[in-house]
Amino acid sequence: MTLPPVARAILREPLTQFLLIGLVLFAVASVARDLRRPVVRIDEAELHQLVAYWEAQAQRPPTATELQAMLRERIDEELLAREAVRLGLDREDLIIRRRLAQKMAFASEDLEPVPEPSEADLRAWYATHAVDHVAPATATFRHVFFSSDAEGAEIRARAALSLPRPAEAGQPFVLPLSYVGAAVRDIERDYGPAFSRQVETAPEGRWIGPVKSAYGWHILRVERRVPAAAMPFESVRSDLADAWKADRRTQANQAFIRKLRARYRVEVAGMAKPPAT
Amino acid sequence: MRVNGNLAVSAIAGVSLVAIAVALSVSGPAAVASSPKTPAAEHTSGYNPERNAYFGDLHVHTKLSFDAYIFNVRASPDDAYRFAKGETIGHASGFDIRLAGGPLDFAAVTDHSEFIGAMEQANTPGTAISKVPGVSALFSSDPAEIGKAFAKFLGTIRDDTTPKEFKDPAIHARAWKEIREAAARNYAPGRFTTFVGYEFTSAPDGRNLHRNVIFKSADVPDLPYSSRESADPEELWKRMETWRAKGVEALAIPHNSNGSDGTMFETTRFNGAPMDRVYADLRRRNEPLVEITQIKGTSETHPSLSPNDEWAGFEIFESYIGSNKAVTKFAGGYVRDALKTGLLLQEKKGFNPYRFGFIGSSDTHNAAPGSVEERNYVSKVGRSDGLPVLRGSVPQGGARTWDPAPKDPPRFQNWGASGLAGVWAEENTRESIYDALRRRETFATSGPRMRVRFFASYDFPSDLLTRSDTVRQAYAHGVPMGGDLMKSRGKAPSFLVWGLRDPNGGYLQRAQIVKGWIENGVAREKVYDVACSDRLAVNSQTGRCPDNGATVDLATCAPSRFQGDVELRTVWTDPNFDARQRAFYYVRVLENPSCRWSTWDALRNGTPPNPALSPTVMERAWSSPIWYDPKA
Repeated sequence: MTLPPVARAILREPLTQFLLIGLVLFAVASVARDLRRPVVRIDEAELHQLVAYWEAQAQRPPTATELQAMLRERIDEELLAREAVRLGLDREDLIIRRRLAQKMAFASEDLEPVPEPSEADLRAWYATHAVDHVAPATATFRHVFFSSDAEGAEIRARAALSLPRPAEAGQPFVLPLSYVGAAVRDIERDYGPAFSRQVETAPEGRWIGPVKSAYGWHILRVERRVPAAAMPFESVRSDLADAWKADRRTQANQAFIRKLRARYRVEVAGMAKPPAT
Repeated sequence: MRVNGNLAVSAIAGVSLVAIAVALSVSGPAAVASSPKTPAAEHTSGYNPERNAYFGDLHVHTKLSFDAYIFNVRASPDDAYRFAKGETIGHASGFDIRLAGGPLDFAAVTDHSEFIGAMEQANTPGTAISKVPGVSALFSSDPAEIGKAFAKFLGTIRDDTTPKEFKDPAIHARAWKEIREAAARNYAPGRFTTFVGYEFTSAPDGRNLHRNVIFKSADVPDLPYSSRESADPEELWKRMETWRAKGVEALAIPHNSNGSDGTMFETTRFNGAPMDRVYADLRRRNEPLVEITQIKGTSETHPSLSPNDEWAGFEIFESYIGSNKAVTKFAGGYVRDALKTGLLLQEKKGFNPYRFGFIGSSDTHNAAPGSVEERNYVSKVGRSDGLPVLRGSVPQGGARTWDPAPKDPPRFQNWGASGLAGVWAEENTRESIYDALRRRETFATSGPRMRVRFFASYDFPSDLLTRSDTVRQAYAHGVPMGGDLMKSRGKAPSFLVWGLRDPNGGYLQRAQIVKGWIENGVAREKVYDVACSDRLAVNSQTGRCPDNGATVDLATCAPSRFQGDVELRTVWTDPNFDARQRAFYYVRVLENPSCRWSTWDALRNGTPPNPALSPTVMERAWSSPIWYDPKA
């Protein structure tokens, strides 16, 4: 190859050589940069998921246009999200922080699943949480009713006490005249506190009164009382298991947080000691 | 999916897919586990073969209803059951609420099946539904903005432009699961009964055709049948028949016929076709009851339909239920009129679609079953009417008088503190109470826990009222409320009427029997006073109890003393009975007048009661009817 002498002279110029080398370097750098451009890739699994989600909502497969729109939306979202993360917009965002915390909390639960309680666990829980499994106080009693719509109800009620068969005095009533194992609190709701107090305290096996209610006067005879007591273990087994598991989960979550605390130093402005876990 | 993909989006898609998968995998009602607390064959402690009165609320909304959520209600189905059991819950306006009259015996959470649970999701950051344009505008704590958002959302339902995200079956399935689990968790046989239920919210052109669907047991369908599938109640009944064929038993209870503009009890089918026996049977099999009273008004009768009933104008609400549009057609919108229509159809066509018993309920949207106590009333739509000034019971802007009159009074001022369901059942269990609902041995009250017995017979013992086994004799010789009298062999039927006051309420003033019958092809009605308080006797000229003189001191809401009775008890024989005429009879028991909720609000505020409103009400109870059919 022969070049004109002028050209040769130019090529020999150090300036020209400098420019040429710069050009080559620039081209190489450009290619390199392009190779390093981050990729947004919707892989097959996600594509499948997008379509499945659509189908679940629309109850049919998407058309080609709909799929295009769906993808466009997904890609735009990804681009915006990536750019937001690059600019650090996620750092001071309340919703994102909460969402991440929630995800971590769920993830930690998955890491340590709560086991099924053993028989001994349930027994222990039953023993230590008696107040949660109490059958209310009940009473078995009869009463005789004297409506305050008629004159002298109290006097007639008192007089009935000295009859040979007090139960045959009085009048019919819309509410029952005898109760078997009725919850005392229901009696209070339906008759008033003065009446239910007598149901709770009257000596057993004997007619007493007269007692006033929201309806008039009564004499009553309590046959049997059962104080509030723990419900039998077997009858509350499934409640116990639920409560035990809920408690375990809470404990596990707290333990996880405590572990995290050990890995961080927590500082709160103006506070020598931040609140404990 | 790439690890560095958008985490939030992938997580939500994942969660939704899981939820869909769960929803789809639950196939057939049998897959829904029965409550482990289902009682054994033995009876619970309150068992009474002569049946007890139990009080409940079968119309309750929680945060899972789209409207309740818009009204800022955040209380859950569990909260609703806790409230019914007498516990304290929070109100949307920031204060605590609790029943004054003690726990209820039973309740059903009946959220709107349409978009059930979707609003909560829409207000949860990060969900797909929360990103739908315009959704965030639905959530405000300002009552004016709430009203606008509610109207706007109703508009999208009407125009069928509700965003598709609200129709996500995965969201609905999750809410339905929450409802079923709350009902299972809170059911305590013998103490407190829950029912799984929902509201079918059909209102073509705003005319209310709503019904509540109540399931007998924990065996329920995977998802409710909603009015989005069809606005035609007949389609709902057909779906209920399909469920029944699979062992899923349910009944539907229509409500607010007063807001149907005459369409709830028409004489044609929804699709315009004429009714026939098949239709009447289908309707009766699925709708044995109506909700005769609730906060949005009482639907027993309207003064224009019953001009001779002096007590017809009780808590009448004359608007559409979702807007301020005025109702123009009262016939077809009220229960007494419908019972008469039913008799006429039976007479002329040989079938009767309108043979139903009565219940009342609240329709609370505050997750507050039974919150219908006049002196303890918070109305029903969350933050929209939670304060007296918002419900028209105290003057606007802190004013001390009603002069000048408010220009734009809130519709809530015409709502009543009303609606409880009463049932006569052997014990407080799902089985026993549901059976009572089915056989219509039910009554309704306007809020107080008044008990009403009602039996009919041709041969009650003459000493029925004074013997100690009145109720046993009544069952042995007669039919209870909701039942049918046999054909008369010449004798007029007698009716045992027995009302007992609410132990925390007022005293009773009178008991009445409302009779409807067919005479020469025309439906007639008459209200008989049958028992008077204070040892007064029915005036034979007027047919009415004389005034017992009971009054209320509006300055204190204290009733006058020594008027009214603890109980009203009588046996009444129909003086105008004609064995050839079809008829129905039901009882109405009236309390002495007492302060209306709006007067209690005013009293606490130290301002005069709103002069546009009645300062007092006469609380009442209605028994289910007993029918007489000469061809039976």
